[in-house]
Amino acid sequence: MIKQKKILFTGKTFAKITLATIAALSINTSAAASEASSLDVRKVCDVQQNGIQKVIDMAAKYNQIAKKEGLEFMRLGMKTSQYILATQKSIKEGSKTVDIVNKKKKKTGTVSTQYAAWRACSFAITALQQASQAKTTWRMATPGDGFAY
Amino acid sequence: MLLKIVKTITLLVLTSSAINAAEFNTQAEKDRLALIKYFEAKFEDPEKNRNTFFPYSTDEELKTAFIKGIKHQDFSKGNYAFNKDGRAQYDEIKEMPPYEDAIEEGEALYSKQFKNGKSFESCFPDTTIGGMYPIFDESRKEVVTIGQAINECLSSNGEKKWKMTKGNMAKLQAYFAYETMEAEKKVDIKITSTDAAAAYERGKEYYYTQRGYLKFSCASCHVQGAGKRVRNEKMSQLLGQTTHFPVYRLKWSGLGTLERRMGGCIKDEGQVPPKSVSDDMKELLYFMSYMSNDMPVDGPDIRK
Repeated sequence: MIKQKKILFTGKTFAKITLATIAALSINTSAAASEASSLDVRKVCDVQQNGIQKVIDMAAKYNQIAKKEGLEFMRLGMKTSQYILATQKSIKEGSKTVDIVNKKKKKTGTVSTQYAAWRACSFAITALQQASQAKTTWRMATPGDGFAY
Repeated sequence: MLLKIVKTITLLVLTSSAINAAEFNTQAEKDRLALIKYFEAKFEDPEKNRNTFFPYSTDEELKTAFIKGIKHQDFSKGNYAFNKDGRAQYDEIKEMPPYEDAIEEGEALYSKQFKNGKSFESCFPDTTIGGMYPIFDESRKEVVTIGQAINECLSSNGEKKWKMTKGNMAKLQAYFAYETMEAEKKVDIKITSTDAAAAYERGKEYYYTQRGYLKFSCASCHVQGAGKRVRNEKMSQLLGQTTHFPVYRLKWSGLGTLERRMGGCIKDEGQVPPKSVSDDMKELLYFMSYMSNDMPVDGPDIRK
């Protein structure tokens, strides 16, 4: 009987902890998403002003949310997450450039590591800012609703 | 007396459920009719309406490159409804369309026995289903696309799923589309519950939301941008956009499904596209297909 109670207690506690973790994570995510709305991309993603490590950390933080929300950007066949990984690798190896690769991993171009960090950071934050703006603007493009002609 | 009461109650229940069913698609119908009105106005006479719809087109282009006076049903041809040059090339290719073999292969896939002795016929006894999908499955509370239904049929019969974008999937869908076109059926997407209406609304929001690093929405090109030129190509219109899939694209040198095309479009906007069986993609296709309701199924077809 005592053993059963113990198992029941453990089960309930585990469920409570899981729920609390999920709630905390979603609060964190939505807080970070709304925090992104107020950022000035030109300032916070400026590599000269903030240093490349801080900029790429910023990119990683916000792109994680963008990816989860299905908003991740891509350009020249590379996702923002690929720009982040390639930049982090480049910083680690002390390289001055990042290769642009297509979906078959074939190199199609090169950009400077600083530029790749700027792109990753601005893409990650803009994706969230845009989504937040779109909540109120999308109807303006809809015939029969906000779109007049 | 008892019979009269039963009859009255039955009538009331039937009337009430019919009214309710009609209510669920009220907004969708409003959207669809507004879209028809917009495109009929836009393509009535592009030269006459240049200030409203085509401010950046040349006089020559507006005078010579457009087919005028297009009505609702004509839009099932995509941009070949209004694109004079494109239509001429399209008509020529249609004399010997490159997808004919794919329809035959699709028919063979339909009849081929699974390892358990059954075939696709056990899941799809009617082959004229091209205009019915996507459906909203009330028991699962989710949109189900034709590709998803095909893969679920394969799985439930112990077979391996197919890739959602091309190959066998596109071939079998081509066969269904062809059979539906031959039966002269129209697109008939249903919204019969609050959940289905909510899925439609989410799909609509996705279509009209600006996304990607280019900050384009699907509507930027295919509502406001329809008929305008990108390089030498005129962009197609939302109305009738789903009636002719799967399509053989010259760019692909092969047949592809609607999911493949939409994935490409979203990439062009500069965003990672949603997965083919994600809610985002399925609800987007649900909205787009509803907009083509009452238009003839016209697939498979060919596009550049």
